[in-house]
Amino acid sequence: MKLSITREKLQKGLGAVSATIPARTTLPVLSNILLRADGDSVQLCGTDLDISVQVTIDAEVETAGAVTVPAKKFSEITRELEDAPVHLTADQDQIRIECGRSKFKLYGLPEGEFPTFPEVDFSESWKMSAEALQELISHTSFAASTEESRPILNGVLWQLRPESTTMVATNGHRLALMTKDLHEAGAPEADLIVPPKALGQVERLFDGEEQLEIARSANHLAFRSERRAVFTRLIEGPYPNFDQVIPKDNDKQVVANRAGLESAIRRMAVVASDQTHRVRLLFEPGAVKFRVQTPDLGEAEDELAVDYDGESLEIGFNANYLLEVMRYMSDDDVKLSFKAPERAATLEPAEGDSDYLCLVMPLRLLD
Amino acid sequence: MTPRIQILPDHVANQIAAGEVVERPASVVKELVENALDAGASRIDVSLRNGGKTEIRVADDGCGMDREDALLALDRHATSKIRQAEDLARISSLGFRGEALPSIAAVSRFSLETASEDGVGTGVRVAGGRLQAADEIARRRGTTVTAAGLFGNVPARAKFLRSAAAETRAASEAVILLALCNLQVGFSLRSNDRELLSLGPATLRQRIGQIWGEEEASSLIDLDGPDGELGVTGLIQRPDEARTGRRRFTFANARPFVDRGLGRLVDEAYRTTVVPGLRPDYFLFLNLPAESMDVNVHPAKTEIRFRDRERVERMLVEAVRRRLARISSTPPLDRAPEPAAVVRPTAPAEAPRAAAAAGDGAPALVREGSTPDQFALFMTEAGGDEEPSEAGEIEPLAAQLRPELWQLHDSYILAATRRGLLIIDQHSAHERVLFEETMRRFRESGGEAQRLLFPLTLKLSPSEYSAAEELAQMLGRVGFEIEPFGDRTVIVRSSPNPHEHFDAERCFRDMIHELADGSPLVDAARNQHERIAKSLACKGAIKAGQSLSQDEMADLFDRLFATELPGHDVHGRPTIVRLTLEELARRFGRT
Repeated sequence: MKLSITREKLQKGLGAVSATIPARTTLPVLSNILLRADGDSVQLCGTDLDISVQVTIDAEVETAGAVTVPAKKFSEITRELEDAPVHLTADQDQIRIECGRSKFKLYGLPEGEFPTFPEVDFSESWKMSAEALQELISHTSFAASTEESRPILNGVLWQLRPESTTMVATNGHRLALMTKDLHEAGAPEADLIVPPKALGQVERLFDGEEQLEIARSANHLAFRSERRAVFTRLIEGPYPNFDQVIPKDNDKQVVANRAGLESAIRRMAVVASDQTHRVRLLFEPGAVKFRVQTPDLGEAEDELAVDYDGESLEIGFNANYLLEVMRYMSDDDVKLSFKAPERAATLEPAEGDSDYLCLVMPLRLLD
Repeated sequence: MTPRIQILPDHVANQIAAGEVVERPASVVKELVENALDAGASRIDVSLRNGGKTEIRVADDGCGMDREDALLALDRHATSKIRQAEDLARISSLGFRGEALPSIAAVSRFSLETASEDGVGTGVRVAGGRLQAADEIARRRGTTVTAAGLFGNVPARAKFLRSAAAETRAASEAVILLALCNLQVGFSLRSNDRELLSLGPATLRQRIGQIWGEEEASSLIDLDGPDGELGVTGLIQRPDEARTGRRRFTFANARPFVDRGLGRLVDEAYRTTVVPGLRPDYFLFLNLPAESMDVNVHPAKTEIRFRDRERVERMLVEAVRRRLARISSTPPLDRAPEPAAVVRPTAPAEAPRAAAAAGDGAPALVREGSTPDQFALFMTEAGGDEEPSEAGEIEPLAAQLRPELWQLHDSYILAATRRGLLIIDQHSAHERVLFEETMRRFRESGGEAQRLLFPLTLKLSPSEYSAAEELAQMLGRVGFEIEPFGDRTVIVRSSPNPHEHFDAERCFRDMIHELADGSPLVDAARNQHERIAKSLACKGAIKAGQSLSQDEMADLFDRLFATELPGHDVHGRPTIVRLTLEELARRFGRT
């Protein structure tokens, strides 16, 4: 393998791939990046076995070939090089890096040791703008569980339907759900459970204006644009029936200024228990009163004028859950719906066609 | 016809009375040593032949008696220790009933040699309760009592004596008991001319070391009781050193007594700090006004009745509890070198060594002996009661900021302190935190339960299902809201949420299994609240292998040290191990 490339392109490519390289691994080759030169481009690939990223960049290829290079050192060297063409030459498992008068030799590992990427057939694929996909991801994937006992909930449910697509994530205490129209379905309906980490790569790697193709194999899902691709393992199993638990009969509704509500809860959270983050919200006509009492620590109270004309009702919540779900509410006002202190409460932007909904399970107060 | 009922002759009456006071050689030893102590002896030598069945001799350097007293002492209820009935209410001497000497004399070939000044003394010989001779003899100040052929004239009693080894063991236990509460007095015990014990004046810790060895002594911690009339002092065992609890001694105003109820209370006070089934040793000294207790319960004087027992119990439990709260259960890795190794400057060859023979005596008691002179040396050089285990104290944390924390193998939290390093077991630590928080929830109202978006529907075994039905209300108070659903199925609608990585389903399943079928942990609990709290703590705590963020570690650290007993988890295992700078220095050869 022998090729030349601009330092800038190389550095950008390495930056895109490096994020998948595991910091510590028992399989040494995973610390390496695979370089595969062919035609007028070079492909950079990195993987942690669950998620793989592939980036193609322009290069002047003299001899085609492939080699793996220690990712960290290669990136560091590239960062320090002067801004001039970089010449890469592979000699068996070694790679020579030359740029101006700087010369490096790095010891790599044989290409054959690098894990093969999953094979995904793109003949049946969904098409979507990166921007729309990234919006779905950012609004939902934070709600996935990090607790490892129910692997299903560690994933984000992605429902693809002929006309629309929905992403849902929950940890069993709070849930985030967003739906978007889908105009170019192109592939059959599917319910996919995707690791949030892979979705994070999708958010990071693609530019908003890129058009993405998404296709699946039995166990894998692939996202690709013209020059970039992300592959991920899918999580298996049936996702719990979330539709069933989203309350349809929450008859009490509060409309509050989102920033005001958020800052009041933030203030209360300071004095809330580090363990449960419990705050009490007392909804009264025209106002919501906040109250926190934490043994051995202290108390706090606050009040916010809101649009509410229902009966008085007190509900306890984990302040962190409320703060998390409000972060992605885009409107100035947020609509809170609830029915009873032990039932799920929902939050959604007060205006608009309401394609975003969050649900928070209350804390039952035991006193 | 002779009357059917007759007054017994004195010697027969004495034989009967002897049965209450003198059961076996050990009780003779006890009575005689107590007399010697009451006589103000500074040194008491006990020697036995054939377990005391052939001969018991107790010699002291106490105040002795003159001829008249020596003869009077052999009459029943003749005593120098009390004068009138009112004195019974405030007994401070060990003997007082005036029964011992006549009782012993009634069942043995008895001789008494005594002198109140060096020079001329009195020698009295009694056989079968009848005075044989009373002569002038030459002797030093003090008293020597010899009882030979014990129960020779009471065959019924003689038959019940046990083997020489067993009787020797019992006699040495009697000496040890008195040696523990008379630290200023030197004791020796010889059996068939072999030395079993040689005890110089010592502190309590030193004496325990003399009797059972340094290992026992260094497993104990000082119970520093409050000053004042009502108090408790002594030594108790470090919880992680607790084994069989064979060495449990209670003294009231330096008088040994037996009280199983208090033993149970001490176990209670150790609750959740020792592994169930293990029991700590203790050496407890109650300091009470003489009139607040009644020692005249039984002639053998092993029981004491307290006027205000509840108060005594409370005082004892509080003292133990308070002390345990201050320690980390595990000693630092650098257990202090045995003081004996440092302060025994004489050549080892000079120290008389008592050989242990398996068949005879009490092998466990045979220790390296020392002469009183050596002990004097010991005292000065050792600097008195230096407590090696004191290094195990947890430094008071109020004075210091939270140290830097690291996690090791996703299981241990390391914290730098002023004096070294604390190694905290994250699961054990969180167990302790959860246990106390849950108990507090039961005591006080408050708390909350996280409602579940997807309620858990769980099929249980028949015993689990009935436990769930029975405990539903109490489980609700710790956060598990459950609804029996029939067909051995329950729906769990809410759960506690003690940490970010909590697995509600697994915790509930494990708990209900344990609560239904029992386990050593929950079976040792006092009541249902404690059963549930222990089970929740054990099943719900952060597991080993769980990676924790800096904030999570800090939170756990702070909450652990806010608990009542931070040093132990609910199984009684230690939560903290210390590595001191001294230990590190020593390991690097920088001592």
